[in-house]
Amino acid sequence: MAAIYRTHMSIIGDILSTTRDETPDESGASVTYLIRKANVSYGRLAKILETLVQQGLLEQTTSDRACKYRISSRGREFLQAYRGFREFADSFGLRI
Amino acid sequence: MAFVPDTVLEISLNLLGFVVGLALGIFSYIGFKNTGSPTLFRLNIAFFSIGIGFGVVGFGYVIELFILKYAQPDSWIQTLGIGIQTVGYFFIAFSHGIKSFFPKSRYFKSIIFPLFIIPGNSIEHIIRSISFILLVYGTIETIMSYMENRNRNTIFVAAGLGLLALGEFLGWYSIIFPKSILYFISLSTKITGLGALFIPISQVPLRGGPKFGGNI
Repeated sequence: MAAIYRTHMSIIGDILSTTRDETPDESGASVTYLIRKANVSYGRLAKILETLVQQGLLEQTTSDRACKYRISSRGREFLQAYRGFREFADSFGLRI
Repeated sequence: MAFVPDTVLEISLNLLGFVVGLALGIFSYIGFKNTGSPTLFRLNIAFFSIGIGFGVVGFGYVIELFILKYAQPDSWIQTLGIGIQTVGYFFIAFSHGIKSFFPKSRYFKSIIFPLFIIPGNSIEHIIRSISFILLVYGTIETIMSYMENRNRNTIFVAAGLGLLALGEFLGWYSIIFPKSILYFISLSTKITGLGALFIPISQVPLRGGPKFGGNI
């Protein structure tokens, strides 16, 4: 099967979706968990997480001495908007 | 000065195209502002260009016929409007080109421009030929995408682009048979095509939404 190229925006969408729908507990998702679920390297994930926290889309929490991330209300709104516009671009056969 | 109903119909259809194109452009702009997506940025340019192209013809005719009281509108208005619309069709085709040929390149895709060698004996003729090629390409790519994603809205977009292509073809044909009904059929077909492109928007709630930084 041919590999599907994911845009930067779709990786962000995957990370936010994971932190919203698939976190193992309420404290959020660990970096290791996000690497596995979002299928992205540590170096790239670290940069994206830093940006998302700065933008207020993710909240950083500390649990069991590990850094965890959970989606903020702003992040939920962004994810909803992103999915709507992704649907729009999909209709044109394009990826955002 | 007597205005034939044809002229009024032509102006009305062009102004309708202006409104539909602008609405699609505004929606794409909201998407770009919210997500920072380059694809939505290109669609935003595409639909604003298409809308403005229709607007140039519609408002140009209104100004010349109703304000400047010309007996007949200048032909350059039509050429200019179609030229601006072609820029819009180019950006739709360009987005598909990037997806199909340069899926991973972030830099080359910004400077690649396709070359077209089109025979023709007038500027309007050449512009319509380019529009037709771009739209047919966009239609084929969209149908190919439908084969992959089976998204029902994609069929409406493919139909819309196909109708725009047919409209451009009929518009070109009306150069051969001027003053015929072909031109109005061409314009109506293009407006119907734009309307079909509007269908995906009805699936998305139209609201301003939250504003996020552009460096996401």
